Amino acid sequence: MIHLKNIHKSFGRLNVLNGINLTVERGDVVVILGPSGSGKTTLLRCINFLERPNDGEVTIGALTVDCRHPSRKDILELRRKTAMVFQHYNLFKHKTALENVMEGLIVAQKVPKKEARERSLEMLEKVGLSDKCDHYPSQLSGGQQQRVGIARALALNPELILFDEPTSALDPELVGEVLAVIKTIASEGVTMIVVTHEMGFAREVSNHVVFMDGGVIVEQGTPADIFVDPKEERTRQFLKRITPEWSYPMEALR
Amino acid sequence: MTIDIAFIVTAFFEILTALPLTLTITVVPLIFGLGIGVVTALIRLYKVRVVHQLAEFYVSFLRGTPIVLHVLIIYFAMPKLIDSLSAYFGWSFKSASIPILLFVLTAYSLTAVAYMSEIIRSGILSVPAGQIEAAYAVGMSTPQAVWRIVLPQAFGAILPNLCNLFIGFLHTSTFAFTVSQMELLGKANVVASVNLKFLEAFIAAALIYWGMTIIAERITAFLEKRVTAYSRGGMA
Repeated sequence: MIHLKNIHKSFGRLNVLNGINLTVERGDVVVILGPSGSGKTTLLRCINFLERPNDGEVTIGALTVDCRHPSRKDILELRRKTAMVFQHYNLFKHKTALENVMEGLIVAQKVPKKEARERSLEMLEKVGLSDKCDHYPSQLSGGQQQRVGIARALALNPELILFDEPTSALDPELVGEVLAVIKTIASEGVTMIVVTHEMGFAREVSNHVVFMDGGVIVEQGTPADIFVDPKEERTRQFLKRITPEWSYPMEALR
Repeated sequence: MTIDIAFIVTAFFEILTALPLTLTITVVPLIFGLGIGVVTALIRLYKVRVVHQLAEFYVSFLRGTPIVLHVLIIYFAMPKLIDSLSAYFGWSFKSASIPILLFVLTAYSLTAVAYMSEIIRSGILSVPAGQIEAAYAVGMSTPQAVWRIVLPQAFGAILPNLCNLFIGFLHTSTFAFTVSQMELLGKANVVASVNLKFLEAFIAAALIYWGMTIIAERITAFLEKRVTAYSRGGMA
């Protein structure tokens, strides 16, 4: 179980997160929605301490970290229980696809090289890139890079995978292949928190939707709660604005 | 004015005997500088308490003063320092027993650290933040991330700069002559004076320096091709 308690984060005088409480059960697929600047990505990055929260508590399984006094060991431990898929993939540029997936296993988890290699090959096969093992990131398309990124996260066998807008940087025609992979692993019971703007995906794959604005959680619930019957005016406005134009009634355009 | 072409050839080979010394004065400090320079750059980037101000001052001062001055200061100050220490503690050790080359190497090494640390710092800064974030996200500690992810990429980025620094140090190694080290230019001077053929001797010396520079450029191009092969892109 993952539990966030009263997470606060500010950059200088700008308060980005103002007390976030969130519980994620094992196997949950949580989608975080919200306008830009609402703190979605910051929240995600606070969970593995890529941003250090100013206050609050992060609990993953048996490990609880007090954000005011995190020890170096706590932070490392948190990061080893989680994995992250980045908006801009962030594959290690000087390593091949296979080496990218192996790196964390060998260096952080001290898995023997042979075993790491086998597991990595398996993961690359899972994301459909067995034939690209020896390619460097610069030789892969955006969609392929992101799938390597997902394989890299999966290989670590984390308790939680954090997806930070995994398809936002992709060409529209490459979004599908990445979403399909995420969908597959979601169906296998991997716990994940996904920040995304893909509403269809959120609706179809998640079992819990969180809507954030102004650094707080405005509303959360099942996809049906949020998409069909939002309680808060702010949520309704947001959902209306991101609905594709072509689904607007013609009268609205006249 | 006539130029004795044949003597240029003779001088060339005679001066060439000083090449090992010149290379020693060039390469040893650079290797030393690379090692300590990485540490200095990291201290400055991570703002390690107290030492980082010290490192900042060190780099600023040594880059802000000419290398020939470092050579002279070390050459005159070190023996005095060593002798007074020796007298104070009652050792029988005398600075005169230390080869001058060691003072020269010390001076150049101290300077190399300063220049190297700046080059390495620029290389590290050129690695996108996302790279180290990804390293953290897969569970690496900071030393692991720096060693495995940041430095290899930084090294690829600074290769042209390293070549530049090598060429610079190769040429500044001539200052060692001021403290009587018989390196290339010193040797050229001797060959010139003995034979009273100055122009020819200096042309020969110039050819040697130029040749070394060309070799350095070739080696760099080769390394660059290998080290940064990953960034050449294109769907293979």
